[in-house]
Amino acid sequence: MRRLIPWMAVLALGSAERAASAAACDTLTNPIYLQVGDTQLNLMKRLGRALRNNTPKPITLVFVTSGSCTNITAIYTRVAITGNMQYIPSSTEDGNWSPASPTLTCTAPGTGVVPDIANSALLNSACTTAAPPATVHLEQGPVQAYVMGVPIASSQVAITYEEAYFVFGFGAAGMVAPWIDEAQMFIRTVTKSTLLAWGANISVPANKWKGMPFDGSAMVVSALQTSTAPEKAIGILGIEVADALRNSIRILAFRSKGQNAAYFPDSSSSARDKRNVRDGHYTVWSPTVWMDTVDGGGTPVKPDTRYVINLIVGKPVAPAANFAPLDSIAAVGLVPDCAMGVSRAFEGGPLSIYKPAQSCSCKYDSLVAGSTCAICSPTNACASGTCRDGFCEVQ
Amino acid sequence: MKTVILALGLMALGVGCGDDGVNKPAQDAAPLHDASIDAPPPPPCFSGTPTTHEQIINACTTAQQIFKNTHPPLLLPDGSLPALPP
Repeated sequence: MRRLIPWMAVLALGSAERAASAAACDTLTNPIYLQVGDTQLNLMKRLGRALRNNTPKPITLVFVTSGSCTNITAIYTRVAITGNMQYIPSSTEDGNWSPASPTLTCTAPGTGVVPDIANSALLNSACTTAAPPATVHLEQGPVQAYVMGVPIASSQVAITYEEAYFVFGFGAAGMVAPWIDEAQMFIRTVTKSTLLAWGANISVPANKWKGMPFDGSAMVVSALQTSTAPEKAIGILGIEVADALRNSIRILAFRSKGQNAAYFPDSSSSARDKRNVRDGHYTVWSPTVWMDTVDGGGTPVKPDTRYVINLIVGKPVAPAANFAPLDSIAAVGLVPDCAMGVSRAFEGGPLSIYKPAQSCSCKYDSLVAGSTCAICSPTNACASGTCRDGFCEVQ
Repeated sequence: MKTVILALGLMALGVGCGDDGVNKPAQDAAPLHDASIDAPPPPPCFSGTPTTHEQIINACTTAQQIFKNTHPPLLLPDGSLPALPP
């Protein structure tokens, strides 16, 4: 835990510095307040930029990041966000901003604001067995894989279910070399989707994990990148975080319980197609869940919340956006439901074959790997399947 | 001593045949570690249309595979896992 303290101090200092010049969030264009998992930061950046520039309906995503279980509680029980929040500038405000740039900071209005939208980066049932209140609407969004990462200097390339059980359930006593130093096992705290999802997949409950618990993904990243014992170091991350850091962090292949080989989330260590997530060879993943507040008739209390959620989950919106949200989703390593070929009912549960009502596999492949599907247009019909987004999808 | 054997899968992205007729990892394959002649043959994959969880995760694929033959010291004699410590 000693490592946690300096990190918290650094973060607190950073927040204090930003607060001095922060604008009031409610002065921004059409603000929608969100509380999301920190693995979703890269999506918030890209989507936030696109929505600021969405001339048919400009929206400012004003957000904080926190643990998925905390986020669920916040919208179920209406816990207000106070203090500093983050947002993305429009192209007019800062033409040079990119997803690699930091977010801007504003201050939550008044005595705080209950999130309009909350996000869990895993199934809500992993956090609470309580049914959602009638005032909260849930939608399942893109799938996120969770990975174990090691410093690029490590020679390790794979970990098995049994090894992970001993490494994180027993710590040094598990005697699984080279992961025998608990100070080099970088984990998350018990409300975080990354820990809960991995725990469900390696049979180690959240309160049983050994290692150094960090509050934020960025702390795990830094610990891996700066480890003085890279061969012993291992950490858990969301793929949205790890995918952006492949030059410094190696994603391990994982062999799940009862599996004949270990697999990467992608079809190879260098690919970005998420093929093994989509077809079930890589088993550690969860759908993201997006929640907003509704009235007694199920209508969103703030209609633009549903506009944002529908963009994320792939439903039609009106007015049509001037950007393709699938581009942002694919760019950060998430997999839209329409590109999945398997599903599961609960965290870490068995996989079943899944056929989305309207597949986007060809389109998704075209964004992440290149598609081999037939192309189509209004004047060039598909020989089979359905023409969608320029590709002949199977359904 | 624990024996760790990693071998790359015999898949399109993973292995190609070199001039000497020996299987060699493709360029984008993961590093080969401690490859050894005592590496067990790759377990069979499921070649039919998968319907169960076990069939899905073991379905034949062209994706890169890594075979890791490990024996954690605390595995029980029957290969099962002991209970987690309190």
